[in-house]
Amino acid sequence: MSESLNPVTVEVIGSAFSSAVDEMGEALVRASHSTNIKERRDCSTALCTAGGEILCQAEHIPMHLGSFLQFVPCLLANYPVEDLRPGDVFIGNDPYAGGGTHLPDIVMAEPIFVDGTLFGWAINTAHHSDFADRGHAHVYQEGLRIPPIRLQRDGVGQPEVMRMFLLNCQVPAERQSDLRAQMAANRLGVLRIQELCARFGLDTVRAAGAELMAYAERKMRAGIAALPDGTWTFSDIFETESQAEHMTLSVVLTVEGDEMRLVFDSPPQVRAGLNVIFTALQATVYYAVKSVVDPTILPNAGLARPLTIEAQPGTLLNCVHPAAVDGRISACQRVVDLIHGALAQAVPDRVNAAACGSVHVASFSGTRPDGSLWVYLETIAGGSGARPDKDGLDAVQVHMTNTSNLPLEALEGEYPITLVEYEFAEDSGGDGTWLGGMGVRRSYRVEADCRVQIMGARLTSRAWGLDGGGPGASGAFRINGDPNAIDLSGSADLRAGDLFEVITPGGGGHGAPSGRSAELRAADSRAGRSAAPA
Amino acid sequence: MWRIGIDSGGTFTDVCLINENGGDVHIWKVSSTPDDPSRGIARSFTEGLERTGAQAAEVAFFGHGTTVATNALIQHRGVKTGIITTAGFRDLIAIARQKRPHLYDMSADKPEELVARNLRIGVPERLRRDGSVEVALDEDALREAVRHLVGQGVEAIAISFLYSFLSDAHERRAAQIVAEEAPGVFLSLSHEIAPEFREYERLSTTTVNAYLGPVMHGYVTALKTRLADAGLRVAPHLTQSNGGVTGFDQAAAMSVRTVLSGPSTGVVAAQALGQLIGIPNLITFDMGGTSSDVALLADGTCRLVAEAEVHGYPLKTPMLDIHTVGAGGGSIAHVDNGGLLKVGPRSAGAHPGPACYGQGTDEPTVTDANVVLQTQNPDALLNGQMPIDRELSLAAVGRLAEQLGLGVMETADGILDIVTANTAKAIRLISVQRGHDPRGYALVAFGGAGPVHAARLAAELNMDRIVIPRTPGVLCALGLLMTDLRTDYATTRIRLLDEVTLDELTGIFDGLTAQAGTWFDHEGIAPEARDTALRVDMRYAGQNYEIAVDLPVGPFGSHSLEALREGFQARHRQLYGFVAEGDAIQMVTWRLTATGAVPKAEMPAFPDAGPDASAAKTGARPVWMREAGGFTDTPIYDRAALRPGNEIAGPAIIDQLDTTTVVPPGMTARVDTYLTLILERDA
Repeated sequence: MSESLNPVTVEVIGSAFSSAVDEMGEALVRASHSTNIKERRDCSTALCTAGGEILCQAEHIPMHLGSFLQFVPCLLANYPVEDLRPGDVFIGNDPYAGGGTHLPDIVMAEPIFVDGTLFGWAINTAHHSDFADRGHAHVYQEGLRIPPIRLQRDGVGQPEVMRMFLLNCQVPAERQSDLRAQMAANRLGVLRIQELCARFGLDTVRAAGAELMAYAERKMRAGIAALPDGTWTFSDIFETESQAEHMTLSVVLTVEGDEMRLVFDSPPQVRAGLNVIFTALQATVYYAVKSVVDPTILPNAGLARPLTIEAQPGTLLNCVHPAAVDGRISACQRVVDLIHGALAQAVPDRVNAAACGSVHVASFSGTRPDGSLWVYLETIAGGSGARPDKDGLDAVQVHMTNTSNLPLEALEGEYPITLVEYEFAEDSGGDGTWLGGMGVRRSYRVEADCRVQIMGARLTSRAWGLDGGGPGASGAFRINGDPNAIDLSGSADLRAGDLFEVITPGGGGHGAPSGRSAELRAADSRAGRSAAPA
Repeated sequence: MWRIGIDSGGTFTDVCLINENGGDVHIWKVSSTPDDPSRGIARSFTEGLERTGAQAAEVAFFGHGTTVATNALIQHRGVKTGIITTAGFRDLIAIARQKRPHLYDMSADKPEELVARNLRIGVPERLRRDGSVEVALDEDALREAVRHLVGQGVEAIAISFLYSFLSDAHERRAAQIVAEEAPGVFLSLSHEIAPEFREYERLSTTTVNAYLGPVMHGYVTALKTRLADAGLRVAPHLTQSNGGVTGFDQAAAMSVRTVLSGPSTGVVAAQALGQLIGIPNLITFDMGGTSSDVALLADGTCRLVAEAEVHGYPLKTPMLDIHTVGAGGGSIAHVDNGGLLKVGPRSAGAHPGPACYGQGTDEPTVTDANVVLQTQNPDALLNGQMPIDRELSLAAVGRLAEQLGLGVMETADGILDIVTANTAKAIRLISVQRGHDPRGYALVAFGGAGPVHAARLAAELNMDRIVIPRTPGVLCALGLLMTDLRTDYATTRIRLLDEVTLDELTGIFDGLTAQAGTWFDHEGIAPEARDTALRVDMRYAGQNYEIAVDLPVGPFGSHSLEALREGFQARHRQLYGFVAEGDAIQMVTWRLTATGAVPKAEMPAFPDAGPDASAAKTGARPVWMREAGGFTDTPIYDRAALRPGNEIAGPAIIDQLDTTTVVPPGMTARVDTYLTLILERDA
């Protein structure tokens, strides 16, 4: 293989980076123990440069990019490069001191040394379903805050750090196994990059990394340049399980040549776990812009360069210490809606109606007969927005998340929960020439007393349609049929035998309902689906 | 007596006849008849007999590989199918694992629904997680559901109830009712098709089986009749995705097990070849016009996966671990809007084909790059049968070169590098990612384009040895004559390794062994030809992905459990880099592979003719050899004229009807006694 850096070498090395992050992700999922990672795949993997710029992120959960943006820079602020050794492992989760976006997403990073030189980092994050049934008035209530610290030095574990962490967790055995899987995943990434450098030489791989970022930047610029120049404004409503009052969030989006500027406006940060740390806002903007401009752009730091993002510090969308952040993804989903709403005015044929706009979460926790605690978290899919030329997708994870469901035959074996229904919410998709995707109804019967904590948006507002399409239906949480059983704390006690139901919102419709063909209407009716009432 | 293998694809049907006495091998290609593939196959059968002078009654074995099931799945040409499942879960097939089809592309769609919502019915019944009945089967509701589906005109019904892998009582009772209400409807039951946990994947497999069942049934019935009319007296056989062959009846009842019939045949052929020439560690590389299939054989065996996604549908059925990548001779090269060179997955196919065919396209393909570099004959392909125009290739690649600011040759070379990198990525997935170092393996290259790119691919993966079979273009048909009868049985029973008793172990495997016995009897396999292998999918309690561990041959004992523990730990360390000492180990799915040995085709051996290959030399032309830094005058050899013992030092080109082999500088090709070409890196 030629050592010169031509477009071919760059492509070959890029392909090796993406193999490596995929392999890390697969190892993490397969070796982990908690249902949230092993089946629901709520984790992501990446490679960074020595300074912490993202070289390549695996296509798992867009939200997790937020955890990778500042972790290494925060780490380096406390650990100078001279102090790093092969076999060091760092762990962290804190949004204010460690580049995290919420406490359950635990980040782990291992430096990649090649012949004594720091090439970069293997990094991953996994959502540990722990810190359950906590308060969300401020970040101190939400779980253990961990700045980037050493969990392993020179290949030797630091048991005191682990003991301290595990003591703060409700399900320590699961945490320990998951952390071990995270460590194994990074180890693989380190090995793969060392092998790559042995073949091509450190300098060539490094140069190819820089070129891949420049390439992503060029693609992003080319995509933005293809949009018309102009300024568009869009506002939307935001409310959640803990925020009944409707808040207004808005964006002013300006396209000028090959650059884009997004200025967000939102109310002051709130005493609830809804606030968004700036890195989470960045990750959201990168996702939302890329999905419209060019979905094929490589997931690395280069794509961010043509984008300018602004939001007033101390507001919901750019919170400061000590705001609580656990449910930041609810607000991030609405940020995607803002950006797509603005871009729909610029390029109407490329943007979908609003998707369900929520990540509906149910987090159950309780005590097992042997006295140990259990925590089970799941996020439930909703409808995606109708497309300009076809219906939206039914029952899919939208935008900032993309976790799997847990097979019922795995769920019931691990937790005292029986699933009684899992079907489409038949009248939830927005009406239109093209219908919004349907949300789902997922109902559980709990077999033992436990707590449930919920999270979700679009509970009273609705996902908007485009071009005359109607809105999707709102979602709901019910206990024994009562939609008001859970107060603004978002938590409730469940007794053995109680029926707990989650209904997720549908997506908005596209085009006037009168434009839908009689043939499609007949098929809708045969399938038992009806559009959400206008 | 004769043995016949017929591998039928969308474009060509490959035929292979071997005379058991004497070892004559006859191999050729005919055009397929896609409207009714059985017609073309019966015709090639008759033609084969005519060519060789064999009598139909002298045919001792008929093996067949087919793409009928795959194509019906890709093109959505299965039958109208209904689903009956547990009440409350009718949308499970559509919800799937709730992930969207593409992370960033919002216009992407899920794979097409095989069963419309109005044909999916939930019926009251429910088992608990231990298999006990919480809600009894509502037989009236079930009867009503069947009548509704029949009224809608379904030809097949899939029944998949929750926890059917623990108790099949409800599904069996439902089957009786369907048989009463709708005797002609094809029935697919989840406890028979995929009795394993994870309800969505089980349902998906059962549904695909129902959807393809009548298609496959119609196909094998027609083919059986035509072959019988043509005089075939033995029961014909068909390859399954697990690489084994089975009778036509089982192929129709378990159609979902035949979706990878085609590619798995090639892997089996490579396996037989490896055994014959004594190279058990192989990576197969089957490169055609639009895609490449790769697989890894460790110690002569290809890993069997219990589940894979095929054309977007998860299937829980034993399949050889074959990966397909959109990299073939027809893959189109282009520069994307960020300025990088990309190759594929779009392909020019056979029509319009590469630019050099002159059929109106000017997009450069991988074949054009080879023509430009003259690794492939610049005047004609297929041993002179297909004239081409190198100027057209030069122009097409030249346009790309201009966009990239590179030279034409450099660009052509780059196209080959990228197609190689794409294929190497797939090979890393099945080797490095599964804990195997490709450097310890030989690369078996076949398919029309495999031998052209094998040397580059081997270099990219640091592999030192390449094997090119005698007939790389029709290897699959040959593979059919080297395959045993084989089928797999499985059941999920979750037990802790520390707690399981030998009685339990014996009981579970006895159940599987009894099923295998029925199959052996049905296939008429003699007792001495029967063999069974047992394995258990295991994991640490708490994990959800299992690792398959073989059980040692012989009677069960405490050593069996110890062997399972050691096997599991070794594999876990190999895959994930650690062993969780002290963590409980679970046994999850118990598996049995039943094999019925059949007499194999024996490849004829030829006498050694010494190293001098000059008699096979047909000429020379300048060929771009990257190792030599440019065009090098390169001798051309005729593969058909090469004899055992012949040695050819690179650079050299070896042409044959169905492919071209590139021997780069620094490698030497040797012909073995079976006329296999073996390329090795010079010391």
